[in-house]
Amino acid sequence: MTRRLPVYLLIDTSGSMRGEPLESVKVGLEAMISSLRRDPFALESVSLSIITFDKEAKQIIPLTPLDRFKLPEITTPDSGPTHTGAALRLLCELVDTEVVTSTPDRKGDWRPLLFIMTDGKPSDLLLYKEMVKKIHKKKFAAIIACAAGMKAQTDPLKLLTDQVYSLDTLDSTTFKSFFKWISDSIGVGNRSLGASEDILLPPPPPEVNVII
Amino acid sequence: MNRSQRHLSRLANRRGPIHDLERIFDAVTEEAALNPAEREAFCRWALSSLLDNFKTHLMDRRIEIEKQIKAMGINVPNGTVNKDYHASFLLPEGLVSDVRVDGVEDLGLSLTTDGYDEYYLSGRPVKAGDFTLTLSFQTLAGAPRSSLKIPVAFNPDPRSLWRNIPTDPNIPYFKEDSATDYIRVEAGKDEAPRKDMVAASQRGRSHAREGKPRDDHFALDHCYESGWYIMAVADGAGSAKYSRKGSEVACNAAVAHCKSMLTDNPEFEKAIADYAADKEDAGKRTELTRMVIDIIYKGAVKAHEAVKKVAAANEEAKLRDFATTLMFAIAKKYDFGWFIASFWVGDGAICLFDMNSHTVKLLGTPDEGEFSGQTRFLTMPEIFHDKDVVSKRLKMTIVPDFTALFLMTDGVSDPMFETEKNLNDYDKWLHLWNKLNTGFPGDNIPGVDLSDDNEQSKNQLLRWLDFWSAGNHDDRTIAILY
Repeated sequence: MTRRLPVYLLIDTSGSMRGEPLESVKVGLEAMISSLRRDPFALESVSLSIITFDKEAKQIIPLTPLDRFKLPEITTPDSGPTHTGAALRLLCELVDTEVVTSTPDRKGDWRPLLFIMTDGKPSDLLLYKEMVKKIHKKKFAAIIACAAGMKAQTDPLKLLTDQVYSLDTLDSTTFKSFFKWISDSIGVGNRSLGASEDILLPPPPPEVNVII
Repeated sequence: MNRSQRHLSRLANRRGPIHDLERIFDAVTEEAALNPAEREAFCRWALSSLLDNFKTHLMDRRIEIEKQIKAMGINVPNGTVNKDYHASFLLPEGLVSDVRVDGVEDLGLSLTTDGYDEYYLSGRPVKAGDFTLTLSFQTLAGAPRSSLKIPVAFNPDPRSLWRNIPTDPNIPYFKEDSATDYIRVEAGKDEAPRKDMVAASQRGRSHAREGKPRDDHFALDHCYESGWYIMAVADGAGSAKYSRKGSEVACNAAVAHCKSMLTDNPEFEKAIADYAADKEDAGKRTELTRMVIDIIYKGAVKAHEAVKKVAAANEEAKLRDFATTLMFAIAKKYDFGWFIASFWVGDGAICLFDMNSHTVKLLGTPDEGEFSGQTRFLTMPEIFHDKDVVSKRLKMTIVPDFTALFLMTDGVSDPMFETEKNLNDYDKWLHLWNKLNTGFPGDNIPGVDLSDDNEQSKNQLLRWLDFWSAGNHDDRTIAILY
């Protein structure tokens, strides 16, 4: 079997994402996937999984090779909390079961990439902080966090990674350029895999603000 | 009987629902004393309200069937351009007819059915992209056609997406995108053929599509006076910006050091002969090991230092920007067999392959991490601080003879062996040897003629390195002593 580059996308689907924001995310995701499909390296190695989180965290699509990937329905409840911590807990479990590590008999996957997008703040902050520590032990090649919209808080995300970006608006143009950049970053992850250090991301588009 | 009476009598004598209806209609309208105009108006009114009802019923029924079909969640898998595609889906039997998928021929597909409820979409996609198929069908006669959108993506053939952009010759530490070498060692006075060395290094497709340079390197040398063969292969880290220079400097420094130590070294020759004469003698072994350390381990240290020096000379770069793996070996033929010594840090493979004895001997263990692509580099100072560095990374051996001594980067060993376990499997090496001979006819890649003194084999080997393996597009370098 070809070794995979596992890519996990964690998408906030809490009530505030209902309507245009979520539709824009979908448009962005679709554009990202079709852009990745034009990258021969990604086409042969990237496997994607989507985890959504609102009052509950769900893996709506397990790690699936890019060439077979079909974007599933993404739904959101009317209102309710944002259980980001629960999403990270689910992610930890999934990484343990889905990502293959090397043994003498088996070639491991590439180190996984994690992208997380939220428009609010974790409602389960205690669990979130606990899970951040666990995530740090999971050896992701890169963790990229995106705070979408004015109400999104960047401080909790900064605990997770130093790669935090923000989007001012939640329209489809912004998400499209954000996800395009994500797909470029996945491409880079794909190519600099010999590295034991962190991957160097391409510069983000103007819609994406770098949070220091 | 007048005409009207005859008509009524005829009607009364006929049987069947229509005639019943006609009789009842006459009776009702007569009883209501409707004149002919009123009768006609009533008729029209009655039929048109029935028709409306019927239309509503048709629509309801159609919507019902459409809902039922929608609930079945028809979903077809993605395909790949120029690869056989086959998808099937079910539609409720007897409820739909005249099923079509619009424009499907333009995509290179056709729709067929088993005649009952199963439909097949098959063919070879001709266009890459995201498409929305419109599946249309007839539910009830007289109802408008129903349709359903089905998304499908056809992936491009990955091979069609690679591009080959030459490396800009103006970048710092420019290196050619490929390299080959052949060292021909002609038969001596005894006229017995002597082993030759061939090597080729090809920039990986992942680099070629972006016009990035080759990071691998190799160096071969032969001391004609003393008969020593020296070979080195290095893989510059993909993430390190000047690793192409690191690998070059490491190979050249290791080979240069070995050559300086081997051109005229009677003490070493004697130590090898003494040890070969009595391999159980611990003293002789220690003596030989001490000398091997002077040549091989020092060679590695010199290579490390040489890279460090180049890094220090570059103000805007650090040592880790030159990160590279390194493997090198020295070999010489004696009356008692071949003496081989080697050093290996990083991934890839260095292996003695012998078809006579059906054996492989991996000269060390590849440095591999938990995940793919993780390894150790010559440029990491901790390599030399490890107290087991000599026992782990240095190998020496005496064998009667061998078919080939291979040195290769992971660009070759990953697709050929996949796992560390396979690297110790004779059959896998035999497979590689056979593949070298046969090439990859399906992909139009000819084999390599590894016969004695065939200098052309270097070009054949370079072409051979273009073999296809999904997900494996790293730089590829292989050096063979055979």
